Amino acid sequence: MPEFVERGTLRTMIQACYLAIFAMSWDVLSGRTGYISFGHPFLIGIGAYSTAILSKKFGVPPEYSIPLAIVITMFGGLVVLLPALRIKGSYFALVTLAFMELMYQLVQVIRPDLTGGTRGITGIKSLTRGAEAGYELAVTLMLGVALGLWLLMRTRFGTALWAIGMDEDSVRGSGLSTTRLKTMAFLVSALVAGLGGAYYAHYTGSLAPRALFDIDFLFTIIVAALIGGAGTIIGPMFGAFFLIFLLEWLRPILPGAERYFVYGGVALILYMYQPKGLVAIAQSLRDRVRGDNYDHRA
Amino acid sequence: MTIALEVSHLVKRFGGLIATNDLSFTLNEGESLGLIGPNGAGKTTVFSQIMGELRQTSGTICYFGQDIGGLSTPERIAKGIGRTYQVPRPFSDLTVRENIRVGLMPDSLISMIFGRSDQSKENELGQSVGFSIRDLDKSASELAMGDLRKLELARTLATGARVLLLDEVFAGLTTGEISMISDLLKDLRRRGFTFLIVSHDLPAMEPLIDKAIAIERGTMIAEGVFSDVLANHDVRASYLGDTDVGS
Repeated sequence: MPEFVERGTLRTMIQACYLAIFAMSWDVLSGRTGYISFGHPFLIGIGAYSTAILSKKFGVPPEYSIPLAIVITMFGGLVVLLPALRIKGSYFALVTLAFMELMYQLVQVIRPDLTGGTRGITGIKSLTRGAEAGYELAVTLMLGVALGLWLLMRTRFGTALWAIGMDEDSVRGSGLSTTRLKTMAFLVSALVAGLGGAYYAHYTGSLAPRALFDIDFLFTIIVAALIGGAGTIIGPMFGAFFLIFLLEWLRPILPGAERYFVYGGVALILYMYQPKGLVAIAQSLRDRVRGDNYDHRA
Repeated sequence: MTIALEVSHLVKRFGGLIATNDLSFTLNEGESLGLIGPNGAGKTTVFSQIMGELRQTSGTICYFGQDIGGLSTPERIAKGIGRTYQVPRPFSDLTVRENIRVGLMPDSLISMIFGRSDQSKENELGQSVGFSIRDLDKSASELAMGDLRKLELARTLATGARVLLLDEVFAGLTTGEISMISDLLKDLRRRGFTFLIVSHDLPAMEPLIDKAIAIERGTMIAEGVFSDVLANHDVRASYLGDTDVGS
């Protein structure tokens, strides 16, 4: 496939793959359990910064720095966010949002010699040569994450997370420790965020704190999951590609920030029309087509 | 006879309000006790304390001789106590079968991820409360009130509960549904389950209980055989709000 598309399109596809990974990571926690995380850039940032610092400043090869970055993301995130998992609703969202902002301040204050302060880090070692190899890596990662999460969500664990989103007290009333379930969901989410963040850092080769710990980035992740279809695996992927390509197609027509108005409007209309997302729209279209076929036969 | 549940000198204060005031009662294994009282008497608060959803201010709750006052709700459920809610709380986007599956899940991440669900056990539980196999694949959001009550019972039984706390099981049901649930509960009683039942529908509750206690503003005002409790002067006064009743 890469041979047939332009290099620019390939880069857009790569962006979409990484956004899909971030959206799936968000969805495992927030789309399932209903605990809306505003802190995913925080987790992605830990993964990205960890591998960047390890490989650039300490010369750790990426095959070690990436797994290490994932572990740091999982446990670093857990230490600070574990208390937050006991708080409900909008408070959880606010606490996680605060962590994202805190992280932005921290990378500037603590050891700017390591984090590069406001200027960020450049010259992070690339894992692949050329856009095609980068694309293949991104697609492989995305499909790997999707498969892993799909298998995990098919288990009773996945059902229990979904049940938490519907009525957490009833899950506890069924004899299950919901804090343990939420912690596990958080760890899985952080694993995927750390993995995506680390590979993304090696792909772009540079990290800019203002672009990473940014509310626009956060909302792009959430919108991708929501308009695609929260609580599914295919939904966030679908949403990520839809969103990235929508923004890309709008670029020649609306070069400025007005694009985001259109994208916001499209997201809003889609979400109001079908809160279960593009996946549900596609399903109902398919059912309708099939229904018609049956009518013809009858 | 073994004592299944023993509540002694239970007190629950919310600031200045005394929701449970020195309440004591015992429930023998296989027995069924009715808990009656006007709205706001504190019946549901008693349930919440037995389940550990609320911590009592003082007093003890013993389950088969063991003090369970310090245990978490999942730990109490693992011991065999279960409750249903006044307003049914199904997982509405899940099917009936998946709802029962959540009740059957062991509280262990490893077995939740690597273990398999037990279809035949799910079928058996669903059928034991009167669902057909086809009903099990319906979404819980499609169920009528009577079926939601059945679903709650099935999910509670799935947790392995032996002592069932039923909160307003007959609320919102049609006459037909009441007799269906009532037959179901009679069947469960024959199978040896122990019950603590709260209901406003006194006639429907009567054939299901061995004895009753009446509370008003958290305080027990009568205890004994159901008809005696109903005939009690204080109970009549608390329900009808008139101290001259029956005199």
